[in-house]
Amino acid sequence: MGNEAIARGALEAGVGVAAAYPGTPSTDIIDSLADVAKDLNLYVEWSVNEKVALEVAAGASLGGVRALTAMKQLGLNVALDFLANVSLTGIKSGLVLVVCDDPGALSSTNEQDSRNIAKMFDLPLLEAATAQEAKDMTKWAFELSEQISNVCLVRSVTRISHARGNVVLGELREVSARASFDTTQKPYTTIMGGAPQYHRVLHENLTKIAQIFESSPFNGYAGPERPELLIITCGTGWLYSWEAIKMLSLQDSVGILKLGTTWPLPGELVKRHMMKAEKILVVEEVDAFLENNLKVLAVDSLPGRDRIFYGKHSGHINPFGEINTDIVIRALTNILNTKYIIRDEAYRQKATEILNRYVVFRETQFCPGCPHRGLFWALKDSLRLDGQEGVLTGDIGCYGSGVGSTGFKQLKTMHSMGSGIGVANGLGKLEQFGFKQPVLATCGDSTFFHAAIPALINGIHSKANFILLLLDNSGTAMTGFQPHPGIPMNAVGDPAPAVDIGDLCRGLGVPVEIVDPYDIEDTTQKLLNVLRHSGRPRVIISQRECSLMRARSEKPLYQMDVVAHQCQGETCGCNRFCTRVFRCPGLMWNTNTKKVEIDQAICVGCGVCVDICPQSAITRKEIR
Amino acid sequence: MVNSKACEELDTKVIKTGLCTLCGACVGNCPYLAAYEGRVLLKDVCDLPQGRCQAACPRISLDLDELSEVVFGGPYPEDGLGTARYVVMARTTDSKIRARAQDAGAVTALMKFAMEEGFINSAILTSFEDKSWPRGIVASNDEQILKCSGSSYLAAPTIESFNQVIQNPNHQSIGFIGTPCQVMALVKMRTAPPEISQNLDKLKLIVGLFCTWALAYPDFGRFLEKKISDPVVRYEVPPHPANVLSAYTDKERFSFSIDEVLPFVRPACRFCLDLTAEFADLSVGGGRGEVLNWNTVVIRTERGMRLFDSAAKKGVIETAPIPEGNLSRLKAAAYNKKKRAIENIIQRTGCTDDLLYLKGRPGIIKRLVAECREGSL
Repeated sequence: MGNEAIARGALEAGVGVAAAYPGTPSTDIIDSLADVAKDLNLYVEWSVNEKVALEVAAGASLGGVRALTAMKQLGLNVALDFLANVSLTGIKSGLVLVVCDDPGALSSTNEQDSRNIAKMFDLPLLEAATAQEAKDMTKWAFELSEQISNVCLVRSVTRISHARGNVVLGELREVSARASFDTTQKPYTTIMGGAPQYHRVLHENLTKIAQIFESSPFNGYAGPERPELLIITCGTGWLYSWEAIKMLSLQDSVGILKLGTTWPLPGELVKRHMMKAEKILVVEEVDAFLENNLKVLAVDSLPGRDRIFYGKHSGHINPFGEINTDIVIRALTNILNTKYIIRDEAYRQKATEILNRYVVFRETQFCPGCPHRGLFWALKDSLRLDGQEGVLTGDIGCYGSGVGSTGFKQLKTMHSMGSGIGVANGLGKLEQFGFKQPVLATCGDSTFFHAAIPALINGIHSKANFILLLLDNSGTAMTGFQPHPGIPMNAVGDPAPAVDIGDLCRGLGVPVEIVDPYDIEDTTQKLLNVLRHSGRPRVIISQRECSLMRARSEKPLYQMDVVAHQCQGETCGCNRFCTRVFRCPGLMWNTNTKKVEIDQAICVGCGVCVDICPQSAITRKEIR
Repeated sequence: MVNSKACEELDTKVIKTGLCTLCGACVGNCPYLAAYEGRVLLKDVCDLPQGRCQAACPRISLDLDELSEVVFGGPYPEDGLGTARYVVMARTTDSKIRARAQDAGAVTALMKFAMEEGFINSAILTSFEDKSWPRGIVASNDEQILKCSGSSYLAAPTIESFNQVIQNPNHQSIGFIGTPCQVMALVKMRTAPPEISQNLDKLKLIVGLFCTWALAYPDFGRFLEKKISDPVVRYEVPPHPANVLSAYTDKERFSFSIDEVLPFVRPACRFCLDLTAEFADLSVGGGRGEVLNWNTVVIRTERGMRLFDSAAKKGVIETAPIPEGNLSRLKAAAYNKKKRAIENIIQRTGCTDDLLYLKGRPGIIKRLVAECREGSL
């Protein structure tokens, strides 16, 4: 996997410290390093958030140990404040920041081209096109980082990070065991010399880096000496372009300049190739980053030459969503005025038909037995019963699916991590403007540590009127159950002191109530009670381990069954309350018997549906 | 089909328009509806074109002739009191009941007797333990029955509890004490499709209570909060001509003039035709004048009569004839309640063709509509 290749590259560079907060598609990098940490004497941690992770890595670098941090594009935004500072002061040992973008937002709330960050902070940027390059580039990034005494960025995307490919391994390098901080050096800060001076050095560095990039083996041209069309590409675009040319048999007329070092551009190399062709197609993922920089270069260095650029601005390559070979084929046939049928119509129709027949539509939903389902059910009922039109704000996490029917459409705002509580702070201060609705904010346990604590403290101090629903499912569930500071175990599986969320909140002076989301009646009652009070933040902690995580080590709580004669099916008048409204995937509607059944293959035996059925047709038997 | 979604129609036509009596008939029959703190509300979206909710609700549609046919085997009568065999005064002979009762304890005594004699083995009653939000309970012994005596003047979704026990095989003969709107709902349920009516023959006794109105929480609660700091333990409407509602705390009594309280009457009560629980087996109210400390009892059905006569014979209650003046005053009051309801209905709909929930036109309704029309001319 690309992410494993990145981890391997770091090991071959002799990385000593790795720190990150999990985030798809970057998570497996640290997971892989954690797996070998004990054997190779590394220090690997799941940090509380990305900013702290980058700071941990920077600390290691300043102490003379090569360090890596990896994050998704949204995580990089969390770390930006520190990156903006450390890029000016510089570092000591190699510090590599891997950012994994998510074109198409397959598992993100935004789509972002993080390459702009490298340009913004004048840092070198490498973009891998294959798993092999992902390894080799990461390894090289450490050397480059040390050459310029600054952070080096490696950009991956989902299709690199999550794709598998052949990788020729290099030697592992021993980690230096002579870490120390040189206190005689001038301090790492811009405050003494003035930030503009440091900024000037950064720009001088860029020239130096561009020089290094001129001879980088990650850049290269393949194609005819004078192509009719030149494709300039990077990352995933390289293989897509290569495949498109092959399918269209354009090897004799189209050439590819593939760049692995995309900021700063190796100007001489690029100019040399741009001069070969009048038509240039730029193929890249997300923004017109490369395209814009190439245009600037062309205007500055190749004056008086007519050159047509195709890409994002001409509409040939989409500036949002993922790209693929079909998109490149369409661009090429359009520019070169040739014809190619990607998929003939009859085949397309047949494929669609077969897909529709055999691939079941699945909506985003909570897993069977997910504690969030019980909590959202109780929340829905209590808000209806309470009748004051309570508003639930939230953020990204498994519970973010609460915007859809699996969470009974209760979640009304969902942005960055911890933002629900911040937004609730604002809504909770509108009383003087006539606002009367109760405000509730939700976040998970991992998110609470990551980004919610300052917002809670803010609310306490401002006496904002909101209820924090802390959905504690004992781990960072959405990214694969990584531990967080509330878990008595660290990234490498060793025991670690756990910070108790309830104690923390109580320590801040907030009233805390613990509920069990599997007991929907009691949870509803407690929510109703809390909704009745107002005037300051209150915390409800919903405590149940993620059912998938639990199923790994423990038996189900209950054996679930349906008493067939008790279930009145379609004649019940409940209008399929269990499968149409409650919607746990562990409940199946049998279209032949027109009654409900338990899908024993996926039911985890949480027992909650027993309390939903108006006919008491579902039973639970304790498993010992 | 006219109704696209039964629940939503119930919500828009009955609940949101203030026609809902909070009887609880729809609740417990349907997982989409709940009764909470004085309201019935729709919890989830149900898209069934026809549902149990409407089949049970007496305020989405009600055919008085049909109900009368089911209970009495004949059309809805012209008499303002409804179908009655005879009217008599009664009071309990049990001092323990007398001490707790609102008037003369006949209801509690009769229900207790019905259970002792095996007429019923459980009773659905309204508990006022939570003074703000009375609810239905299932009583299966004397003590539980006794605990529910007295009156709250607050609407309660008592039928929800009935719906919950009706399917339970442990409850084979059930008694019910309720207000006219609750009794109407139960009888409408008897006329409903089998999935609702199938177990209703377990209902062996309905004792109806005279009712002029019920108060609406939480508005009335907020009114009280401003006037009384301690919790109210009991309400009372003393007999004519006091014209007050008394609220008792543990320490003292507060009296409010009826005019002060009337704005808090449930809007649904303004459209109610029934003062004397006309579809019960027997109906019970207070006494006045020379029979102040007695209950007025209207015996309506065969089984109501059997129970009453048997109780009288065994000395559980003592009886007395109703004074002539009392009977005519009661009939006039019952007629006037109907008339006010029809006036209010016509005022709401703006025409005499649409009588909201009232379907069919028994003679007395035709007469009342005609009187209204004349009145407005």
